[in-house]
Amino acid sequence: MSDPEKQVSADVAGLAAAIERMAADLAIGEEPAGFVLALEGDAKTEEPRD
Amino acid sequence: MAARKISPVEATQTCLDRIARLDGRIHAFITVDAEGALATARALEDELAAGRSRGPLHGVPLAYKDLCHVPGLPTSCGTKTREYFTSPIECTAVARLRAAGAVTLGKLNMTELAMGPFGDNAHHGDVQNPWKSGHCSGGSSSGSGAAVAAGFALGTLGSDTGGSIRLPAACCGIVGLKPTYGRVSRAGVMPLSWSMDHLGPLTRTVADAALLLEVVAGYDPHDATSSRRGVPYYQRMLESPIGGLRVGIPENFFFDGITPDMDTAVRAAAEVLAGLGALVSPIHVPDPRTLTDIGNVISRSESAALHARLARDRPHELQPAVRTRLEIGFHISAHDYLQALRLRSRLAREFIAEVFAEVDALVVPVIPEPAPALETAKAGSVDDVVTRMGRFSRLTRPFNTLGLPALTLPCGFSSDRRPLALQIVGRAFDEATTLRLGHAYQQATAWHHEGPPL
Repeated sequence: MSDPEKQVSADVAGLAAAIERMAADLAIGEEPAGFVLALEGDAKTEEPRD
Repeated sequence: MAARKISPVEATQTCLDRIARLDGRIHAFITVDAEGALATARALEDELAAGRSRGPLHGVPLAYKDLCHVPGLPTSCGTKTREYFTSPIECTAVARLRAAGAVTLGKLNMTELAMGPFGDNAHHGDVQNPWKSGHCSGGSSSGSGAAVAAGFALGTLGSDTGGSIRLPAACCGIVGLKPTYGRVSRAGVMPLSWSMDHLGPLTRTVADAALLLEVVAGYDPHDATSSRRGVPYYQRMLESPIGGLRVGIPENFFFDGITPDMDTAVRAAAEVLAGLGALVSPIHVPDPRTLTDIGNVISRSESAALHARLARDRPHELQPAVRTRLEIGFHISAHDYLQALRLRSRLAREFIAEVFAEVDALVVPVIPEPAPALETAKAGSVDDVVTRMGRFSRLTRPFNTLGLPALTLPCGFSSDRRPLALQIVGRAFDEATTLRLGHAYQQATAWHHEGPPL
C-alpha cells in the first residue's frame, strides 16, 4: 500500500470511528431533515420585507 | 454612480486597467471579459442618461468565482478543464446582481474544485496575497478575496463549504459573509457538497456585504434547498444600535493554539463592541471538533459522488492533495454518511438551543495565524499538506456543519502587515445581527480603510 493509500485508509478509519462513537445514542426518530427544521425553527428575526 | 461623479464606463475601465496592470502578479482572475464588461457598462450608462437607475448597484463592477455559471464565459472550477462545469441556467445570484445593474468583469481564480484553504492552484497560478507577495490569499475563493483587496472589483461572490469565503476574506483583510444554509440559492453553481455549500459576498465593507446579500438572498425555485423565508432590508438595519446585544466569547476550542497577535486582535475587537454597548461575556460552546468530524464525513462523501468522473477517469489532472481528499469520500460507507447526516440534525439543534439561549452572537477568530507563506503551506508530503489544510480551516468548518451565518471582517495587522480577522456568528437566518455588529465595529475602527501596498 502506498503512502497516500495508507493516509486515505487512516483518515477513513478515523472518521468512521468518530461517527460510530457519536451515533451510539441517536434516537430512532432522528432524520437528516431535522437539520433544516433546526435552522428554520431557530430564526427569530423580524423580516418586514416580504 | 447615482450622483454622476463616476460613470459605469469609467468605473469599469478603471477596474479593467488595474487588472491589466497588476493581475499578472496576483493571479486573481481566470477569465477577464473586458469587451463584455464595457458593453454592459455602456448600456447601463445609456439607462442612466435616460433617467433610469436600477439602484445602488447600477454600473458597479463585480466578479464571480469561477464555479458560477455565467452564460458566454467558461467555468473551469479551478481545474485543468476549461469548461468543467455547465448548467442549464445562469447562476441565480449572478443573474440577480446583473438585473440590479452590476457589471460582470470576469471569473475569478479558485482552489481546484473548491477543495483547499490556501489559494494555491497548479493550473491557473497560485493567488498571491495582495498584502504580502508569496503568502496565501486563502481559499478556496482565493481570487474573490484577492480581487477585492487589490481593488480589481467592488465586490465578488464566493462559495463556502468549509470556510472558503471566510478564509480568503480573513487572509486578504476584507469582509466575507457565509449566509445561513438556504439563504442564498446555489442554482447554477458547481456543487462540492450539497449539504454544506453556501454562496455569499466578499466586499471591502460590511455595508457593501449587506447590499449584495440583499440582492442575492431569497427563495429560488431552481434550488430546492433555498429557504422560502422573507429577506430583510439588511441595509436599513445596519444602523440599529448594538447596545444590549449579547456577544459570547468561547472559552473552549476557538482560541486554543492561535497566534498571540490573532488572539489579542480578536479580543480587542470584542472590547470595541463592548464599548459600543454590547454585553460581552465568556461562554462554553458544545465541542466544535465533533461538528468538524461530522462535516468531513458529509462533505467528503458528497464531493466524491459529485466529482467521481474526474477523480476516476483523469486523476492525474488533479493536484495530489485534492485527489487524496476526494479519494477519502470513495471509502466512506453509506452507513457512516447517513449517521453523520442524522447526527448533524441533533447537534445543530443542541448547539442552537444551548448557545443562543445565552447570547445573540459569537465572536471568534477565523484563521489560527495570519496568512502563511505559500511555500510553507505547500511543503512536505500529501499527508502533511492535508493535515495542514485541516488545521488552517478548523475555526470555520464547524459553522458549515451548523449552517449558521458567519461574517468575517478585518481587525488589525501582524507586525509584518498581514491582516488579522474576526468572525461573528449569529442565529440561523439572522444575518442582520451579524451585519449590525460588524458595521458598528467598522464605524468605530479604520482597518477597512487600509489597502495593500500594490
